[in-house]
Amino acid sequence: MRARSVIFNAALVFAAIPLLVHAQGFTPTKPVEFVTHTGVGAGGDVLARYLANVMEKEKLLPVRMHVANKTGGGGQTAMAYLVEKAGDTHTISLYTGIWISNPLMLPEAKTTMKDLTSLVRLLLEPGLIVVKSDSPFRTFNDFIDEAKRNPGTLKQSGSLVGGRDWMLRVLLMKQTGANWAFIPFPVMGERLGALLGGHTNILLVDPQETGEHIRAGTLRVIVQIADNRLPPYPNVPTMKEAGFDVPNIPVVRGVVAPPGIPREAVAYWEGVFAKLVRTPAWRKYLEDNVLEDGFQRSAEQSKFFDEYAETMRGVMREGGIKIVR
Amino acid sequence: MAKEEGKIKIGDIVSGAVLAGLGVFIIVEARGWEYLGPDGPGPGFFPLWYGIAMVALSLLLVALSFVARGAEPGKAVNWREVANGLSAWAGLALCVGLLKVLGFLLGFGLFVFFLVAVIYRQPLRTAVAVSVGMAVGFYLLFPLALKLELPVGMLGF
Amino acid sequence: MEIFGHLLQGFGVAITPINLFWCFVGCFLGTVIGILPGIGPAATIAVLLPLTFKIEPTGAVIMLAGIYYGAKYGGSTTSILLNVPGESSSVVTCLDGYQMAKRGRGGPALGIAAIASFIAGTLGVIGLTLLAPPLAKFALAFSAPEYFALMSFGLAMVVLLAGESFVKALLGMLVGLWLAGMGIDLFTATSRFTFGSPDLLDGIDFVVVAIGVFALGEVLVNMESREGGQMLPVPKGLRNLLPTWQDLKDCRFAFLNGSVTGFIIGVLPGAGATIASFITYGIEKAVSRHPEKFGTGVPEGVAAPEAANNSDAGGALVPTLALGIPGSGTMAILLAAFILWGLKPGPFLFYDNPQFVWGLIASMYIGNVMLLVLNLPLVPVFAQILRLPSYMLFPGIFGISIVGVFSVSTSLFDVWMLAGFGLLGYMMRRLDYPAAPLILGFVLGDSVERSLRQSLMMSQGDLSILVSRPLSASMLILTALVLIVPLFRKANAWRLKAAG
Repeated sequence: MRARSVIFNAALVFAAIPLLVHAQGFTPTKPVEFVTHTGVGAGGDVLARYLANVMEKEKLLPVRMHVANKTGGGGQTAMAYLVEKAGDTHTISLYTGIWISNPLMLPEAKTTMKDLTSLVRLLLEPGLIVVKSDSPFRTFNDFIDEAKRNPGTLKQSGSLVGGRDWMLRVLLMKQTGANWAFIPFPVMGERLGALLGGHTNILLVDPQETGEHIRAGTLRVIVQIADNRLPPYPNVPTMKEAGFDVPNIPVVRGVVAPPGIPREAVAYWEGVFAKLVRTPAWRKYLEDNVLEDGFQRSAEQSKFFDEYAETMRGVMREGGIKIVR
Repeated sequence: MAKEEGKIKIGDIVSGAVLAGLGVFIIVEARGWEYLGPDGPGPGFFPLWYGIAMVALSLLLVALSFVARGAEPGKAVNWREVANGLSAWAGLALCVGLLKVLGFLLGFGLFVFFLVAVIYRQPLRTAVAVSVGMAVGFYLLFPLALKLELPVGMLGF
Repeated sequence: MEIFGHLLQGFGVAITPINLFWCFVGCFLGTVIGILPGIGPAATIAVLLPLTFKIEPTGAVIMLAGIYYGAKYGGSTTSILLNVPGESSSVVTCLDGYQMAKRGRGGPALGIAAIASFIAGTLGVIGLTLLAPPLAKFALAFSAPEYFALMSFGLAMVVLLAGESFVKALLGMLVGLWLAGMGIDLFTATSRFTFGSPDLLDGIDFVVVAIGVFALGEVLVNMESREGGQMLPVPKGLRNLLPTWQDLKDCRFAFLNGSVTGFIIGVLPGAGATIASFITYGIEKAVSRHPEKFGTGVPEGVAAPEAANNSDAGGALVPTLALGIPGSGTMAILLAAFILWGLKPGPFLFYDNPQFVWGLIASMYIGNVMLLVLNLPLVPVFAQILRLPSYMLFPGIFGISIVGVFSVSTSLFDVWMLAGFGLLGYMMRRLDYPAAPLILGFVLGDSVERSLRQSLMMSQGDLSILVSRPLSASMLILTALVLIVPLFRKANAWRLKAAG
């Protein structure tokens, strides 16, 4: 069953902004459609609406930008929609990692990132591994040691096979020889509930989701998945500091466009987002939500797509998932 | 189950056969997926069992309709009614097919016209009035008042 | 008692003119979107979120919560009048509600739904007021084995939803299970029954199945006759449009049953109002003195599910406010809103922001009264819809169904699926397959499979986990009883028949 969500695209009507003349030779002349594959109220949708809001407030676009939710198909509906819009310079879309990973493992996911035009990468979400406050595991090493002593008895509240938390588990099990179960729960509430109820032992979270539980002392962070220690958690080691040499599989968000758009349009959108990521509003958003700035331009991001897909192929092979592409 | 008499037996037999076919399809598909994995039941576990249950129950249904045959005469199917129902559905399918080309306003308007004029055999004037009124009413209520998106056709509305 | 002090303080907050205003706005918007099929409270709240930054958080949450529980009042309207489930949780209301409307009792059905909503909504808030902390603990004790037992109990309700043929009901449920299994398997990333189509990777939307099978199937059956006049009788006079005293007396137990069951299931983050309404309806039928009349338009059949889906709102707020764990999808959005407003949802919310929490709780008492006052006068108005000639009413239902489905995903593929399920619903009616078991299987299919697999992962494949935990064991025993008792009854009936 698919979760419910509804579209009110036109509900957010933005005031028209005087036309700005652009040097590159391309400027949008009609409202821009900003596609997201998530339903109204979900993470990607909230970010898309926030970006549209900043664009308007900072007058970065001469036209208004409205959010269109093309939900379903694990991102494929939105991707196929972009392919259908080939050559359209007035449609751009937010993506996440599943746009890269799903085509690797699902035969039905026929549209890949190679079919789209890379614009910019925006941000990376770090992660925290948390335990319940009365857990015997003081550090992540304690957990790994126990998982080696009694393989298969410890449990991780997870999102889904193929998700970031699952991939990290595969990598860590390979590196350390430990073994523990990964129990998927489709929504955060259930994942967290299972951990707080003592039914599972660890959980990987976004820092923003559980900040209050950590402050209240019901959850304890034992390791963080980030290149550098995040400001709110100066005393918790990163994965590398704790002695685990696994790549930080980031949750990534960025922007792509339909295939076959002219180079001027790519340059234009790069420019707009380059300006956006320098605005104080955006810096504050990153800080408030404990996110890392992951800005990359089109060419750089294309390379990132390839690397990311390669890493995932490795992890999936290791984790026993059949790779179809 | 004893009350099965008096119903359209042929319908039970045909639907039972179709469902048995679906059950077999489910079983065949499920056999292609892992039944028990290292971490417990695999993706094939659940479908295999409900597939088997479906085959068993649909065969039971067919068997029961044979057993009950002759107990009481089945009610004859009024094929004219069925034809009405199915042609209304065909109109719906056509309307859905046309949404992409004509958009909601026109596609739905034509569908309503078909229903009123052909299915309900109302005078032409009524049909035109109802279909135009309905299409415009929907347009005023949903895209205009509630800002909901409706399918847009190639003509731009 | 301390709680009453807090509650009084909360009323102090909620009763200010500005907060009363926001409460009214929320309740009103909620009623409207509840009436429209497809558009749900979750999306409405998400869309209004940016606008709430200009309001003080307490006023904002009072309004957003009003949308949430207000939608539950409105959801029954189209279910009863048109057999179109306005919200996913009002599918069960269609069963007896629409039958009542068909027998000229659409007005009373709407009235009962509003009264049931009011009673249960209020009892739900009382539960939230008094029991939040202990119940939040109870919610945490619930894990995969308990969910499996609860979902099995839910599936066992098929026994009670079956019409004349038990075999057909079971077959319908199995088809529902199959439909629910479509899409990516969380546990292995295998895609199942997608027929190679990426559109099916996330499965089928509930709205598509429910509206197709219930609403379109019914409309197509009605179109078999070319009778152009008014289809459903609507008696004249206001008195005939409101429930009678006898109706309300018949519903006494249903109000209570729905309120309690709905509230308890609402507290659990992994179960929702739809499941609650099915289970309540089943219980109601099981204890009824005239179970055979269910499905033909009995008032209890409307009161029970409507009560369940309204007290669910109070229940869902329990883990949300007391633990910072969203009790439902809509609650997840509400929690996100708390963070955006600078509040900190989590175990400390009750202590850090008592004004906010108790203001919200108090506003829900007021909101439920407002909704009753808002909804009861609308009953005679809405009942007039049925006076439309069938050549206007039924095409209109087609239109509303298409708009409702398209608004969920803006996908024409879903509209095609809707047409397909409409045909399925029509065939099922022609061939005497009850529609409710299919919906039941579809709603529960995902959870029942998931919780079984989760349980066995937790126990490393040991099935005893399902019966060694007291909560799940007792629910499984109940499930067995539900399945066995009717068999005895049937056997008895046969014996009597043979003897007579």
